[in-house]
Amino acid sequence: MIFLKRQLPLAITFVMGVGFILQYYIPHPVSEDAITTVSKWMQIISGFALFLGLASLFHVHAVKIKRQVPGWGYSLALYVGMVGTMVAGFWNHGETMADGGQTAFGWLYDYTMVPLQGTMFSILAFFIASAAYRAFRARSREASVLLVSAVVVMMGRVPLGQFLVPWTWDVTQWLLNVLNSAVRRAILIGVSMGAVALSLKIILGIERSYLGGGKDQ
Amino acid sequence: MKAFARRMVGIDRRVIFLLIAAAILLPMLKPFGLPIKVSPEVKAVYDYIEALPERSVFLLSFDFDPSSKPELEPQAVALLRHAFRKNLRVIGMTHWLTGTGLADGVFSQVAAETGRERGKDYVFLGWSPGGSALIISMGQDLYQAFPSDYTKTPTRGMPVLEGVRNLRDVNYMVSLAAGGAGIEMWYVFGKDKYRFEMAGGSTGVIAPGLYPFLRSGQINGLIGGLQGAAEYETLIKRKGTATAGMDAQSAAHFVIIVLVILCNVFYFILRGEKGSPR
Repeated sequence: MIFLKRQLPLAITFVMGVGFILQYYIPHPVSEDAITTVSKWMQIISGFALFLGLASLFHVHAVKIKRQVPGWGYSLALYVGMVGTMVAGFWNHGETMADGGQTAFGWLYDYTMVPLQGTMFSILAFFIASAAYRAFRARSREASVLLVSAVVVMMGRVPLGQFLVPWTWDVTQWLLNVLNSAVRRAILIGVSMGAVALSLKIILGIERSYLGGGKDQ
Repeated sequence: MKAFARRMVGIDRRVIFLLIAAAILLPMLKPFGLPIKVSPEVKAVYDYIEALPERSVFLLSFDFDPSSKPELEPQAVALLRHAFRKNLRVIGMTHWLTGTGLADGVFSQVAAETGRERGKDYVFLGWSPGGSALIISMGQDLYQAFPSDYTKTPTRGMPVLEGVRNLRDVNYMVSLAAGGAGIEMWYVFGKDKYRFEMAGGSTGVIAPGLYPFLRSGQINGLIGGLQGAAEYETLIKRKGTATAGMDAQSAAHFVIIVLVILCNVFYFILRGEKGSPR
């Protein structure tokens, strides 16, 4: 049993990890066929992940409704929305348009999903303004530099700012292309090196937490 | 003075919400239509498409969903108008399941207005799971990754895909991205291995994070947020929702700048006072 739980997954990880690092550098037809097949497997596995996510969501909210925990009404709304959309989707065979007209599934997408998601995102503008008013203060030298840069970029990125204070356009371009790029590049290099190190640790079997069951299993 | 400053620092946030709402609504009702300046990063995308020969293959990936529609849909519309005007063959797809209907709607709308035909001038492949695996799959064999398009028409034999076997046959690609599954993923798993030129379009909030890719040449251009979309509309000489929205964005930015400056003035007035905002 321990073989199936630990040694086999570690062996598969090592072989596939090393194999597909090498595959990248070997443009042989066998190597190309292998990546074609494996990319298809990965797509299928990703598809199953969707079902897992859906099942988990159903389970979490079913428990909330059953126990009538505070806010269980939202879980009920989620259930009604999800089940309703799924029924409409199956009924219309996943089509948003049929016979030149909109299906119920298409209607749900256009008139509930699009406006609801749009509303959620647009609310951010209001909260950002409120948060900026309360929190964006020149408390220190560093905070002052950030504040001045933010004001310049906010002006330089809109026509009214470019019209009133023309130099903000050039300064914004410089800030984005030079200072911002340098900082982001440093972060990216750090993150990428971390990702490479973690990948190597997983391939070599040093990092085993993905197997589950605690450190010493 | 201090009493006033104290009152203003603790102002009800609903007043700020009202100011922002007014700043967005009023310019929409009465636009002031200021000229849009074009940045080199947006011009680079335009120039590359402009230089492509007729019937070149242009891949447009709609990597967003309705929450980013106001910023990214105008970019998609402007790019499609340009591509169709240049008589390019356009392949559309999405990595975001919830963006599928939106993307198909944009394709249908722009194709109808420019008289382009599905299957002949463009194809919308829809969504398929996998993210990075899907890109690799398309790089190996497009027809295995997408055996049929969004309308369930088999992709093999479609006139628009004539001579296209995989991503290596794509002349230019743009990923319009609202988050993780987007430009970086297309570069790492697509361009780096299958050697096609690509650019990115993104929401304003993630655009600054993409400048290192732009500066290193990993992407050849970047359309950032509503401003980027408005710049592209200016380049193709066809004003749309982005140009209209820039007045509202200008006013909203100004309200926020004024609020931030005022708040700092009040902060300085109250500095040193016991219990003053920190």
